[in-house]
Amino acid sequence: PAPICFLGLLLPPLNPAAPISPAEPISQAYSLALYMQKNTSTLLQTYLQYQGSPFSDPGFSAPELQLSSLPPAAVSFKTWHALEDGERLNRAQGAFLALTQHLQLVGDDQNDLNPGSPILLAQLGAARLRAQGLLGNMAAIMAALGLPVPPEEDTLGVVPFGASAFERKCRGYVVTREYGHWTDRAVRDLALLKAKYPA
Amino acid sequence: MMSIYLFWRQPSQMVDKKRMKTSDFRWLLSKFVLLYLMVQVTGALRDLKCTTNNLKVWDCSWKAGFESVIDEVCIEDRSYSCHQVEKTNIKIPALPPGDHVMTVKSSHSPANSLSKFILNEKNVSFIPDTPEILSFSADFPTSTLSLEWNDKGSAFPYHVNVTWEIKILRTERRELIKLETYNTNLNGKDRVHQWSWASDLPLECATHYVSIRCYIDYLHFSGHKEWSDWSQMKKIPWSPNSQTKVFPQDKVVLVGSDIIFCCISQSKVLVAQIGSTLCPLIHLDEKNVAIKIRNISVSENSGTNVIFTTDDNVYGTVIFAGYPPDIPQKLNCETHDLKEIVCTWNPGRPTGLVGPRNTNYTLFESFSRKYVTFKRAETFINESYQLFFQILPDQEIYNFTLHAQNPLGKSESAQLVNIMERVSPHTPTSLKVKDINSTAVILSWHLPGNFAQINLLCQIEINKANSKQELQNATIKGAKNADYLIDVNKLNPYTKYTFRIRCSAETFWKWSKWSNAKQHLTKEAIPSKGPDIWREWSSDGRNLVIYWKPLSINDANGKILSYNVSCSSHEETQFLSEVLDPQHKAELPLSKRDCIISVVAKNSAGSSPPSKIPTIEIPNDDLKVEEVVGIGKKILLSWHHNPNMTCDYVIKWCNSSRSEHCLMDWKKVSSNSTETIIESDQFRSGIRYHFFLYGCRNQGYQLLRSIIGYIEELAPIVAPNFTVEDTSSDSILVKWEDIPVEELRGFLRGYLFYFQKGEKDTSKMRGLEPVGRSDIKIKNITDISQKTLRIADLQGKTSYRLVLQAYTDGGVGPKKSMFVVTKENSVGLIIAILIPVAVAVIVGVVTSILCYRKREWIKETFYPDIPNPENCKALQFQKSVCEGSNALKTLEMNPCTPNNVEVLETRAAPKIEDTEIISPVAERPEEGSNTEPENHVVVSYCPPIIEEEIPNPVVDEAGGTSQVIYIDVQSMYQPQAKPEEEQDIDPVVGPGYKPQMRLPINSTLEETAAEDDIDKTAGYRPQANVNTWNLVSPDSPRSTDSNSEVVSFGSPCSINSRQFLIPPKDEDSPKSNGAGWSFTNFFQNKPND
Repeated sequence: PAPICFLGLLLPPLNPAAPISPAEPISQAYSLALYMQKNTSTLLQTYLQYQGSPFSDPGFSAPELQLSSLPPAAVSFKTWHALEDGERLNRAQGAFLALTQHLQLVGDDQNDLNPGSPILLAQLGAARLRAQGLLGNMAAIMAALGLPVPPEEDTLGVVPFGASAFERKCRGYVVTREYGHWTDRAVRDLALLKAKYPA
Repeated sequence: MMSIYLFWRQPSQMVDKKRMKTSDFRWLLSKFVLLYLMVQVTGALRDLKCTTNNLKVWDCSWKAGFESVIDEVCIEDRSYSCHQVEKTNIKIPALPPGDHVMTVKSSHSPANSLSKFILNEKNVSFIPDTPEILSFSADFPTSTLSLEWNDKGSAFPYHVNVTWEIKILRTERRELIKLETYNTNLNGKDRVHQWSWASDLPLECATHYVSIRCYIDYLHFSGHKEWSDWSQMKKIPWSPNSQTKVFPQDKVVLVGSDIIFCCISQSKVLVAQIGSTLCPLIHLDEKNVAIKIRNISVSENSGTNVIFTTDDNVYGTVIFAGYPPDIPQKLNCETHDLKEIVCTWNPGRPTGLVGPRNTNYTLFESFSRKYVTFKRAETFINESYQLFFQILPDQEIYNFTLHAQNPLGKSESAQLVNIMERVSPHTPTSLKVKDINSTAVILSWHLPGNFAQINLLCQIEINKANSKQELQNATIKGAKNADYLIDVNKLNPYTKYTFRIRCSAETFWKWSKWSNAKQHLTKEAIPSKGPDIWREWSSDGRNLVIYWKPLSINDANGKILSYNVSCSSHEETQFLSEVLDPQHKAELPLSKRDCIISVVAKNSAGSSPPSKIPTIEIPNDDLKVEEVVGIGKKILLSWHHNPNMTCDYVIKWCNSSRSEHCLMDWKKVSSNSTETIIESDQFRSGIRYHFFLYGCRNQGYQLLRSIIGYIEELAPIVAPNFTVEDTSSDSILVKWEDIPVEELRGFLRGYLFYFQKGEKDTSKMRGLEPVGRSDIKIKNITDISQKTLRIADLQGKTSYRLVLQAYTDGGVGPKKSMFVVTKENSVGLIIAILIPVAVAVIVGVVTSILCYRKREWIKETFYPDIPNPENCKALQFQKSVCEGSNALKTLEMNPCTPNNVEVLETRAAPKIEDTEIISPVAERPEEGSNTEPENHVVVSYCPPIIEEEIPNPVVDEAGGTSQVIYIDVQSMYQPQAKPEEEQDIDPVVGPGYKPQMRLPINSTLEETAAEDDIDKTAGYRPQANVNTWNLVSPDSPRSTDSNSEVVSFGSPCSINSRQFLIPPKDEDSPKSNGAGWSFTNFFQNKPND
């Protein structure tokens, strides 16, 4: 059911009409986030598998790798819990906006590095579409809650084009890893909202 | 002391001291000795050295012994010249070859000395000026160092070879890593030289230094040529400000090469690895490290990762190891449509490089100077790449070169083609078939392409079911994107064809692929001939049954819908019936017996020519039935030519067991043939068929021959039924019946009749075989009409077994057997009684007569009135005894030694039985007298048929009711057949020993069967039924034929012992015929029985 619902959500409901009940968009976004959560580890594993050793070695992890253009999902529980709904949604919105752009970038990178790997490219494309779907859902929630929807902004800038193959691989690793972390966080965010706004 | 002063105009230049060459050592030595002597003489000057850096000016220097001032230096040249000098060196123009004396005057020395030196070019060292580096630069991406310097060739206005030596040092430790020799020449002008070198270590990782020196090899200079000094070092510093930390980045290298990676790090590098393999670290300046990878293997698509791990971070790079492009293989350029040329090739060995590093292909045509480039997006079909090149108007010859290039190298492959000879058309499409008539169609198909300039050669494949495929070629004028048509003739009507087509250019290069197959059923045509017909009159003679065979597919030319039957006579033609197709006969009442029946087959296209047959059957009285046997499932019939038979012959046949009017099939043969072979799937072996040969005259058919036959004869499956009609004492008359045809399964060739003495139940009879048994007589009756047989010369009152078999050429049928007993021979019996009586009477009479005649002598001899003492034998008797005379043996009481000793014990019964068998006659009375009568059962043998029975007065305690039965053998057998059935009706009534096989079986049923039945009841059975054994006292009359070897006696265990009450070889003994006999039973009855 998730793909059907997210197809409907791809059209961002930016209609500035009177706030409707937030329960429905929250529920839809929550379902989509849960569906995305099931595929994030597969995406990461598939991605690493195509990058060669040591990325493809079992148990590979490089937590020290970070991207300045991508906000990290890790946050202390206290901070997270103290956030207001609007701020919480704003952060997730910003993260997924960055993620969609980064996933596009990673897809382009992999098109050069692994042109003969349609599985990886398809999974990256699908992840990007789902992130966009979730963005749309969040915008609907914010509209329903009467919060201002932040404008889309270019989070990538001009930096990444001269990147070396190794940087691209690392970048893709951070993006796919953070995509998983942010999806996990979005599930928690939306679960919290869902509890707050029952249907 | 300083008496020599040298004055020199040229500016001085300090020159290093150089050693003299060893070859000049001798000369030098003498000069030094001379100089020494002179210095000794004059006081202070020594060590004169001369060098030059440009071959024009010599710079000579010496050492002064004291603080002497040299005032004047004079050189004896062509012109003697003197120079005032104040130093210890002087520059003089180069002197011509040869020795020159140089005199140095030292005015201030105490001795005002004068020193003399000999100057020669050979003692001058040529040391070029130190080279000067103009620039030293680095190309970091390629790790290439470039060096530029000026050779200052203007100083040498002539051609001189120069050798440059360049050294590259690395790191602050100035490790020498490269020493290069570089040869040039000087040609009188200043020139700037360049030298570049690719470093294996990326330049970003360490400081690199360079220095250079030179050696000028001027052949005409006879002095010493020496290297210049090393130039001042220049350096390329590593760049710590660079953002990247690992070098080289994203480099593409050849598989198998060695490569060094380095990492610039502020913190200590802990681990370096390529893929997952750790590498030893090479320490560079500061904390920078490098690793060296030898013989790198091919990378995967995304490259090989090289990673340096520090305390707080990881740095990495990716290297792409692959191969330069292989030469494109199997380059082939052809056209499918004369619009564009398709060049295909195989890339050969994979390069291992993908994406932007993949091989780029460019197809270049040299005449038109046009090219097309292979886009990576164009995926290739089964390992083959292709490029399309538009055909140019008015160009037929194309010279293609395919260039392949990747970061590691390039290769190419070329082909020159005349494109008109390389036409391989597309697969024809839209194949359609249209009927023209029943034997011709038009094929049409579409072929895209601009073939207006050429002719096409097309091949049509015509497939018919159950037939070999046929190929037809056709040449067609080509056109542009046209539909093409072609006729196909000589097809069969109403036949399913499958057509396919393929095309090529007339100048053949390649066939196109076959088009899709198209099935087509041709139109129907009228049947080509009428059906094969035959007629039979029905059994009552009123109706005529007309049969016909369905037309073959080839003759039917369509689907047969119906058959029209009509009858034509001279006057008129009468339509009789229309029969729909699946039926192939018509039974019609015929008013006129004389007409010609005609049958036509009809399909949708029309009617066949009629098949005609006259109804009349011309009688033939002269018929006899012949026989025929087939050969190999076929029957060959032949007949004599008969000129009367004008139309044809017909052979019809049927199973002979069917009625007379049956009809299985028929066959028509032309009138001029005299034989035919009849075959049919319906024929079976062992079935009799009846064949009728008809000849055709004008008016009708006449039965010429009637033949019965078999495809293959088999043996009969039953035996003939036979009975005994009559028996006498020496003959039997046997009569038998015919075997039915169905069971005969072949032509009866005769009977085999066996007969043999014997009776049912005896083991001897069971194995009756005609071979190897002397007492079996065989009669082969080949006259099959004979139905009786008299067997003569038999013994009277004897049981015979009769066996009858029928046989055909296919084999011998089963046996049927019967037991018959001949009647008693009364004459023989009478003779057998009378002769002994007569002999006894005659002997008695003769004896009486003799006795009467000699009564006096007899009386005198035997009964004298007064006995003669001399004749008293009584007196001699004792004497004879005492003397041991043998004359009177009868009175001897010799100890009797039995030849067999029997120890009878109750539990040793089987052994006793064996003994009895060994010596049955002689010892039986003895043993009988020695054993206890009550422990023995007398087993009586008796023939199967009991005429009278005598109750046994003796009752055995153990055996219960035991009997002794005396049986009249003569009355044992009935003269009629089937004596078996009467035998053993009641086991109690007909007791006696029986083989164990037969003991408890219900005898009534089994006796009706032939000998085989005995075997069916086989199996061990204990002879438990002791009640049926007849017990006789030991005193029972013994058989007189004690010498008969045939005699056997019963044993509870022996099957074979049931034997002959009538010993076969004892035919003359009347006593043997007298009665059934029994003997005293010596055997203990087993208590547990």
